Amino acid sequence: MLAVRAVLAVAMVACGLIVLLRVGALGLRVESLPGLVLGAAMIALGVHRISLILRARSGTVR
Amino acid sequence: MPATSKPELRRSVTPWGSFSWGYSDVGADIFVGLGLVLAAAAGASNVAFLFAGIVYVCIGLAYTELAATYPVAGGGQYFVLRGLGDVFGFIAGWAVLLDFTIDITLFAWTCVDYLSQLLPVLTGSAHPWVHFLATLGLILGLATLNVIGVRESSAFNGVVSALDVISETCILCFGFLFAFRPELLVHSMQASWPSPYQLMLGTSLAIISFVGLESISQAAQETQRPASVIPRTSIALILTILIFALAYSNLALGLAPQHPITDAAGHPIQFWQLFPNNGDNQGKAVALLAERIPIWGSLAAFYVPILGAVLLLISSNSGVFGSSRIAYAMSKSNLLPSIFQRVHAKFRTPAISIVAFGGVAVLELIFAAFPSLHPDATILYARFFRNESGLEFLADLYAFGAATSYSFVFLALIGLRLFDPLSPRKFKIPFNIPIRVGGERAEFPIVGVLGFIGIFSILIFTLFTHPIGRIAGPSWLILGLIGYFIYRRHRGLPVFTSHKRDWRKEQVEILRGAGELELMDEYVAAVKASDRRRLEAKA
Repeated sequence: MLAVRAVLAVAMVACGLIVLLRVGALGLRVESLPGLVLGAAMIALGVHRISLILRARSGTVR
Repeated sequence: MPATSKPELRRSVTPWGSFSWGYSDVGADIFVGLGLVLAAAAGASNVAFLFAGIVYVCIGLAYTELAATYPVAGGGQYFVLRGLGDVFGFIAGWAVLLDFTIDITLFAWTCVDYLSQLLPVLTGSAHPWVHFLATLGLILGLATLNVIGVRESSAFNGVVSALDVISETCILCFGFLFAFRPELLVHSMQASWPSPYQLMLGTSLAIISFVGLESISQAAQETQRPASVIPRTSIALILTILIFALAYSNLALGLAPQHPITDAAGHPIQFWQLFPNNGDNQGKAVALLAERIPIWGSLAAFYVPILGAVLLLISSNSGVFGSSRIAYAMSKSNLLPSIFQRVHAKFRTPAISIVAFGGVAVLELIFAAFPSLHPDATILYARFFRNESGLEFLADLYAFGAATSYSFVFLALIGLRLFDPLSPRKFKIPFNIPIRVGGERAEFPIVGVLGFIGIFSILIFTLFTHPIGRIAGPSWLILGLIGYFIYRRHRGLPVFTSHKRDWRKEQVEILRGAGELELMDEYVAAVKASDRRRLEAKA
């Protein structure tokens, strides 16, 4: 189960990076801002999940 | 479930249960909000969601900190009562109650809208009476189930939430991979940028996609070791909801479907142009988007209306359950008459609260549906309310109630940080300024101030752009306050000031009840040290 969650978390980070790259290609402008935040939020969620998984592996979190 | 004796809720909710509890409530909001925002903010819908989303993240962090520090079911009303006193606690609770009653009607209404995608006989514009009766039937059915004491299980919530997260992830992945064109997004935004008025309207409607954070505190009441579990599940919930809202709005503006979309005259239009002046489409936006996604869309066309309807029904039910629970908590705090604490002799449920607030929900439904049921009323609504649709009326009040209660929650967060610095906070919002208040070290939350400015501006937008909301919302608060003052005077309680309470004793009880014994010891030690310092300073 932990492995599946880890794969999903890594996939979330990868999706975030793809969104950042595709929208970032438009340049830093008002139109790209929501997409950039979306990509950043996806990466943040993925990293949050990975940190929880790592803590679960080290036994500090259920 | 409240009982006649001292009620105790069983703490059996797991971390996933805590997440799915919140998700089944807040996750349904995008099903309602997407169409309304696309209709109002057009090419700037994603910007409206971004602004509301940033404010929502601040609100979510505030709820997470407060729910982990004070894990009681009263939610926003309890935090405001404790941080700002009885009068403001009543206003916040009364605004939350308005939101819960709207929640019942709005989500039952859109549940029928989503089902109309598969059953055209339920379409509101073509068969207004069928739509009205179906919505009324859902509200009465949910109220009856709650009076009897039947609730959906947390396992059912978990399954529906998991299915929805998987479904929405698939829709968005396929959509962004095969149908999203960044250059079309830019074109939509540049060619259809709304007026400032429409942008404010869209932003005030976007906040309804993020309402339901009361569920975090309700879950905290029933979660073992909430101070540890709530922060991590809440952060995942906040980010998930934010991602879905931003992703849907970006996708809707940059969607290049396989088959061209045309208007009634056969002219090609973009996807988001399906929504302005079309109440039927506004109520089922996610289903319309899902069916236009390449590959996945042919499957999504069948299951998304059903999944959406189930999620919306759960959310509507949380309105019935939540309103009775908030009324019970307010009654216990002497903010509402004790009648709202009474439980049914046979079913042991707060039947009076359920019937009372279910009745308010039915009145709201009648007001919302009246123009479509009675053509003469359309003239009246057009004259006084700029011809708002039933769905817009409900959304108006929903946004007003949420913005009001969240504004007070931010003030309560600041107040509690300054005047209750001894309560242990296992999760603390970052970016604070250390200060000293009354000899104690406290931390002033910058995010709390920014969040308050954000939500207060949304409240101003709501009052400015919603013709019904700016009348009905404040009227609800004023009527409630009049009732509150009469009740407090009748009971011989302080009318404008607060009833004396021993918060220290209550905090110890709360932490003990939550199983947070280490935090309880930490709190008791901090209180003793503080008392000792005061005595030494006096000496």
